[in-house]
Formats: sequence, structure tokens, C-alpha cells
Amino acid sequence: MTAEETRLEIGGVWTERADGWWLSVPATSIQKIARTMLKAEARFVAIVALSEPSNAMQLSWHWDMGGTLLSVVSLLAEGVSVPSIVDIYPGADWAERETRDYYAVTFEGRKDTLPLMLRNGDKPGTFLRTSGDRL
Amino acid sequence: MSYTIPIGPYHIALEEPYKIEVECEGENIIGSSLKVGFNFRGIEWLAQRKNITKSIALLERVCGICSNVHSMSFCMTLERIGSIEVPERGQHIRMVMAELERLHSHLLWAGVASELIGFETLFMQIFRLRESVMDALESISGNRVNYSMNRIGGVNRDILDDSKVREVARAICAVTEGILIPLLTTDQTVIARCQGVGILTRKDAIAYGVVGPVARASGVDTDLRRDQPYLAYGKVDFSVPVQTAGDVLARVVVRALEIVESCKIIDQVLDRMPQGPIHAGDIYSVPAGNAVVRIEAPRGEVFYYVASNGSDTPLRVKVRTPSFANIPSVAAMVMKNTIADVPLIQAALDPCYSCTDR
Repeated sequence: MTAEETRLEIGGVWTERADGWWLSVPATSIQKIARTMLKAEARFVAIVALSEPSNAMQLSWHWDMGGTLLSVVSLLAEGVSVPSIVDIYPGADWAERETRDYYAVTFEGRKDTLPLMLRNGDKPGTFLRTSGDRL
Repeated sequence: MSYTIPIGPYHIALEEPYKIEVECEGENIIGSSLKVGFNFRGIEWLAQRKNITKSIALLERVCGICSNVHSMSFCMTLERIGSIEVPERGQHIRMVMAELERLHSHLLWAGVASELIGFETLFMQIFRLRESVMDALESISGNRVNYSMNRIGGVNRDILDDSKVREVARAICAVTEGILIPLLTTDQTVIARCQGVGILTRKDAIAYGVVGPVARASGVDTDLRRDQPYLAYGKVDFSVPVQTAGDVLARVVVRALEIVESCKIIDQVLDRMPQGPIHAGDIYSVPAGNAVVRIEAPRGEVFYYVASNGSDTPLRVKVRTPSFANIPSVAAMVMKNTIADVPLIQAALDPCYSCTDR
């Protein structure tokens, strides 16, 4: 399956940018999208969390297909959890654990979410908690 | 009856902290778990609090081996947000630095791997070559490790005399083609130690999302320099080596073949080096926006996401390094191998824990 065919199968309004194709979706549809990506042999690349001024969180999942970046974005209200895609892409395990470490995002459906960069017992959300001064 | 052996965080193969616990039945591995984070420095967090000029120097410290690729990726992401055009000469100089860095990284790894399999002579020969790459990098940048070459809109230093770089690239190409590749593909010591060890199937390679030589050794034909050309990679001729065995030997061969391709790229880039400026002037901020840039680093794809609010300090800097993508696949590679193979399997990934932890 090509990147274009994959976009068509996933549906929605994709926007082309200099860095690839972007799609806004509700977070509840991420597992279905991940299954379609795996079927198309898309390579999982990364999860990026971005804290919004309104305390909302923007989460984006990124895949590669033959060099084309396919990015899926969701806006999450404060404290809302998102479905995990680890059972579909084991390679997303560290990305989800790191996102929890830095931004305290909860991924549902995982057996456990051990800290990746933090120590066991550390409170998640390091990047949210430590606003700090400009250095 | 099974038992668990903890290996690390002090490492048996590389001088960086990382821990793997392997569950064994006799000598055979039936499960494993990985622990990283011992090198966590919060570089992304720091980059979101420094201005972008300071962050270039900071991000160059993500990795001690592929330092150039990090400052270059960060600058290229900001250039994409700000629609800043890098002069052609600046792009070509970035390519020379990127390919020299790939030579350095692959030769360093090949040397370490040779020592691990007990081939001391090969280790010495390879490290002699690696030294010459560092000399070439020093001749351009004045530095042997962190080169400080990148700035937003181009590079800081010109290549005034390319004779040293040409000489090094040609010598490495000759030795790699004449000695290294025949040796790595026919020597009984190498084959006995590497063939059939640490297999990562193509299916697992996709599921784990591995990148770079690790992916290409498992039959995944991917290389951003060819698939999504950046700088002037679309204008040079090179091949992307792919192997299908997915074992340690395949990773060795892919990297050796890539050394030859990098030398060819350097030669072509120096031949077609255009005249003109090397940067677009002094730039201290970019407009509001966000962008992703992906670069084919020595170990595979580096992913940079930067969001800007128009000030001189980034709103978000996300760095996904190739080792971060590759290391989890060790869990699949060690299965059904013996405990004695673990150091070699880990080393065959060419892991960088400094990159992984950031």
C-alpha cells in the first residue's frame, strides 16, 4: 500500500505540508489508524506532546511510509487519557512511557506504564511541573 | 528451570550505562527487559528555556559521535519554520560534514565490534582509519568531536582546502573495498561469530520501527537521503545497501558497504561544490509555527519537531534519536540466542545511550 492509498483508507481531511501529511482526529480513533498503518507496513516514528496554554495537550503520532511522513494530531482536554497502541506497534512502548514521564499523559490499555527516563516512584509530568526560569 | 541475569547498568561492551535483564533456560535466552534513563539530562527541557542560538550548541551535545547531525537537524527545522533558504555552498558543506560523520561513526562501531569478536588486528586497522576521519573533520572545523559548524541558514566555516578531505575519503574507500569488505564477508572468525546471531526479521523490524543500518540489514529498504532527499542529496549518485538475513553479519556488511557509498558522496559533493555564500546572515528567531525535519544520521533516522511562538526561545523541541527507535528491538534479537551472544547483539545495534536518554 502506498502513502496515498493509506491516507485514503484512513479517510478524513489530510493537509499537505513541507514536512508531510497531517490529519486531525479524536484520540479515540488512534488504534484504528495504527492498525491501518501496520497493515500498510508504515513505520512508527514518534509521539510528540505539546502543552497548550489552555492546559490542553496536543498529541501527535508520526509514521513513515517510503519517506513520506504521515502525522495524526489530537487535542486532549486536561486529564483525559488516550488509547495505547503498544499492542499494535511494540515500538511505541518507549514513546508512550516517555510521554507519560514528561507530560503525565495516561495511555489506556497497557499492562503497566513504567517510567522510562525517570526513576520508579517519580511523579510523572516533569516538563509540566518545572516551568523554571529562562537560562 | 529459568533464572534471570542482570547485565548493566555498567556495560560490558560500551562505556555507557544501560541495563538488560535476560531470562535464561540453561544458556538460552527466553525473555528480556531493558532499562534506560541513566544518562537523562533533560536536553529537550533545557532547549525550551534557552534561546535558539544557545540551543544549537546544547543540541550538539545530544551525542558525542553524531553531534553534527543534531545541530544540523535543529537548524533545518527552524529553517523550515521560517522558510529560510540555505545557500547552495552551505548545503554542500553540510553534506560533507554529515558524510564524514557517518564514516567516523561506522568506523568507530566497526572497530568496537572487531574487538568484541576477538579480532584485535582488525580493530587496530579500523581505528587507524577512524583517526584520519577525525583529522579531516578537524581540518574543516578545527574540532575533532563537537564541530560547531551549523547555524540557522547555513554553516559557520567554509571548506577552503578540500585536499585533506579528498585524500581521507579515497584512502578509506580503498581500504574498505580492498580489505575490510572481503575480510568481513569471508573471514571464518567473523562469520562464525556473527552469522545467524541476533536475527531481527523484517516483520519485527517494521513492528519495532527500527531505522538505519539495523532496518536495512533486515530487508527494509529505507534511506531518507534517497526517499526524501534534503540538502543536495538528490543531485548525487549513491546506492542504499540492503541485506535480508537480519543477523549481526548483515548489520556488519550493511555498514561496511555504506562506508564506500559515503566516500563516493563526499567525492561527488567536493567535485560539484558551488561558489557563493555559506550562510544566509544572522538569524536569531523564526516566526510562529511548527515543523518536523528528519535526517538520515549514521545510526538511522533522526526526528526533530520544533514549535515556535515567534520569540527567540522554542516552545517545544522534540528529539527522537535512532538509538531510541533501535534499542527496544534487542528484546526480539536476543530471543533463542545464548547469553554469550548478548554483548555482540547489543553492539551490533551501534547503540548510543547518550542519544537515547538525552
